[in-house]
Amino acid sequence: MNTLIALVIGVVVIYLAYLFYAKRVDATIIKADPKKATPAKMYMDGVDFSPTDRNVLYGYQFKSIAAAGPIVGAITAANLWGWLPALLWLLLGVSLIGWVQDYGAMMMAVRKDGDSLTAIAHKLISPRTRTILLLFIFVYILMILGAFGNLLAGALNGNPSVPLGIIVLAAAGMLAGQMLYKWKMDLIVTTIVVVGLTLLAILIGPLVQGSVADFNKAVNGLGLTIYYVETTGAVLPFTTSYMFWLLFVVAFSYLGATLPIWRYAQPVNYIGFWVMALTIVGGLLGAALAVFIKPAVANFVVPAFKVFDAGTGGALQPLWPMLFVTIACGAISGWHALVSSVGTGRQLEYETDALPVGAGSMFSETLLALLALMAISVAGKGAGAAAFAAGVGQFLNVFGLDPTYGTALGFAAFVIIVITVTQLALRFMRVVFAEAFGEMWPAAKNIHIGTIVSAILMIIIVLSGTFTYLWQIFGAANQLMASLALMLVTLWLVEQKKNPMFAFWPMAFMYVTTIAANIVSAYNLWATVVLKQSSKPELWFAVAGAVAMILISLFLIAAALYIGWDAWGAYNRMKSGKAAAAPAE
Amino acid sequence: MFTPMQLGIALVRNRISRVLDAVRGILYGAGAHEIVLYTVRLRSDMENLFILVTLGDLIGVPILPPYYSLRLLPYIVPQVSSWKRRVLRERDILDADGLDLLA
Repeated sequence: MNTLIALVIGVVVIYLAYLFYAKRVDATIIKADPKKATPAKMYMDGVDFSPTDRNVLYGYQFKSIAAAGPIVGAITAANLWGWLPALLWLLLGVSLIGWVQDYGAMMMAVRKDGDSLTAIAHKLISPRTRTILLLFIFVYILMILGAFGNLLAGALNGNPSVPLGIIVLAAAGMLAGQMLYKWKMDLIVTTIVVVGLTLLAILIGPLVQGSVADFNKAVNGLGLTIYYVETTGAVLPFTTSYMFWLLFVVAFSYLGATLPIWRYAQPVNYIGFWVMALTIVGGLLGAALAVFIKPAVANFVVPAFKVFDAGTGGALQPLWPMLFVTIACGAISGWHALVSSVGTGRQLEYETDALPVGAGSMFSETLLALLALMAISVAGKGAGAAAFAAGVGQFLNVFGLDPTYGTALGFAAFVIIVITVTQLALRFMRVVFAEAFGEMWPAAKNIHIGTIVSAILMIIIVLSGTFTYLWQIFGAANQLMASLALMLVTLWLVEQKKNPMFAFWPMAFMYVTTIAANIVSAYNLWATVVLKQSSKPELWFAVAGAVAMILISLFLIAAALYIGWDAWGAYNRMKSGKAAAAPAE
Repeated sequence: MFTPMQLGIALVRNRISRVLDAVRGILYGAGAHEIVLYTVRLRSDMENLFILVTLGDLIGVPILPPYYSLRLLPYIVPQVSSWKRRVLRERDILDADGLDLLA
C-alpha cells in the first residue's frame, strides 16, 4: 500500500457516497426546498441569523469541525490495530454515519427555526433530556481538556523545538487582536505579519532546542514527581518539566478563557488555521506526489492489521467497540451536530445548501484524517504528535524541505491546533460552570473563579490518567453525543412522517457501540489500575484518577440510557398520534 | 454571431471564473468569516447598549430624557426590529461565544 492509492481510494469512496447516497437522501427523504424560507431569512438579526453564501459556509463549517480530533484518533487507532481497520472505519463511517449526523442535525435545526440541539431535545423528547445533555456536554468538555492537556504537555516537554513557536503564537495572537480590532488594519497585512512571525518562530525552534532541553533538565532537578499507570501496566513518572509545561498550557488557555474573545482566543485560532492549512495542503500534496518523486517515502510501513484485541497488561482493547470511539472525528463526531445546529444552520441561505455545507465538509474532514493516517503509516511508529510530525516531515521532504524543519512544522502545527481547541474548551467550561452553579453560588459567575476551578479539574484529570484511556473516554462521550444527535434526527423524521431508517440504523449502531466502549474503558481502569495498584501508596493519585474516570464512564452510560428511555417514550407518543409535545417538567 | 470556438472559450472562461469564485468563497469562509462574525457580534453588543440607553423606555428603563430619545428616534428605528429579535430570542448555553471554534 502507498499514499497515492490510499488517497485515491479515499477520494473515490467519498465521491460515490456523496453522489449516490447523500444526494439521494436529500432529494427523496428530506426534500430540501430552495423556495422555503430558512431561519437565516425569517429571523435575520444581522448577527447570528444571517443568510450567507454556501461556499463561505462550507469553508466556515469545515474549519469549525476539522481540528485535532481526526489527527489524533487516526494515529492512535493505526498504532493499536493497524492502518486497514482505521482506513475502513474512516471511509465507511463517514459514508454511512458521519455525514448523516452533520447534515441531519443541520436540516433539523433549519426546519426547527434554528433551535439548538438541547432546545430541540427539550421539545421533542423531554425537559429532563435537555438537562442531561448539558451535563453530558460538561463531562465531554472535561474529557477534551484532560486528553488534550495530556497531549500538549507531553508534546511540549518531549520536543524542545516546539515551545518557541507556541510562545510566539501567544504573542502573535495578542498582536493580531490589536491590529485587527483596535488599529483596524487590513486583514491581509495582519495575516502576513502574524502568520509570518509564527512560522519564523516555528522554523527557528530546532535551532534553540538545546537551551529548552537544558531548561527542562534544570526544572527536573526540583524532583517533584507524580506516578501514573500506563496501559501496559507499567508505572511511569510525570516529570517536573512535564508539570511545568502543563502549567504553561493552562496559562495559555487561561488567557483564552478570560480575555474578550476578539482579543486573544479568536486571533490565535485564526493564526492556527493558516499554519494548519499550510501543513495540510503541503502534506497532502507531498503524500500524493511522493510515489513519483520519492517512492520510498510513500510506502506504508505500519502493518495493515495487527491484532483484534490490542490490550496489554490485563486491559482489553477489542477492535469492536474500541476502534469506533478511538476514531471519532473523521468518521463521525457528536460535536459537529452542535456546530451544525447553532452555528452554520442559522446562516444557511437555502435549504439546498445544507447538503454541500453539512455533508460536504464532513466528507472533506475525512481527508484530513486520511492525511494523519498516511503520516503514521509511513512514519512507522510513535504516538500522537511525534508520529504525525515525522510523517508530515517526510511528506514535505518530497519538495526538498529538510526533514528537521518539516518535522518541526508538523509538530508545531499539531500543537497549535490542539492548544487552540484547549483554550476554547476551557473558556466554554467556564461558561458551563457559571451556568450550572451561578445561581446557588454567585461567585461561580466570576470569570476568573470559573476558569481557575475548570483549570484545576483539567490538571487533576491530566495527572490522573493515561492518554489512551482519556482519549477513549473522550471519544466515547463524543460518539454517544453523536448517537443522541442521530436519535433526535430519527425522532424528528418520525414526527414529520418521513422514513427515519437512514438515521435510525447509524444511531442504533453508535448507541450500542459507545455504551459497550464505556463499559470496556471502565473495566480496563478497574482491572489495570484500581485492582492492581491500590495497595501502593505512591500511586494514590493514579488510583483516585482511575476511580474518577470509571465514575465518568458510568455516568455517560446512565445518561445515555436515560435519554434512550425518554426517546422511546417520545417515539411511542408520536406513533400513538398523541401530541408530540414533551411532558411538563 | 459567435463561432462555436468563441462560445466554447466563453463557456470555459465562465466555468473557470465560477470555480475561482468558489475557491475564494471557501478560503474567505475558512479564514475570515469567523472574524466577521465576531466583529458583527461586537457591534451588536454596542448597539444593544446604545438602544437600551436611548430607548430604554421601551422596556421600562427610562435613562435618557424623552426629548433626546425623540431626537434620536429616526436613527434608531431601523435597528429596533432586529434588536428586538436579538434581545428577545431564548438562548441556552450552546449559544455561548466560541462554541463554533471548538469542534
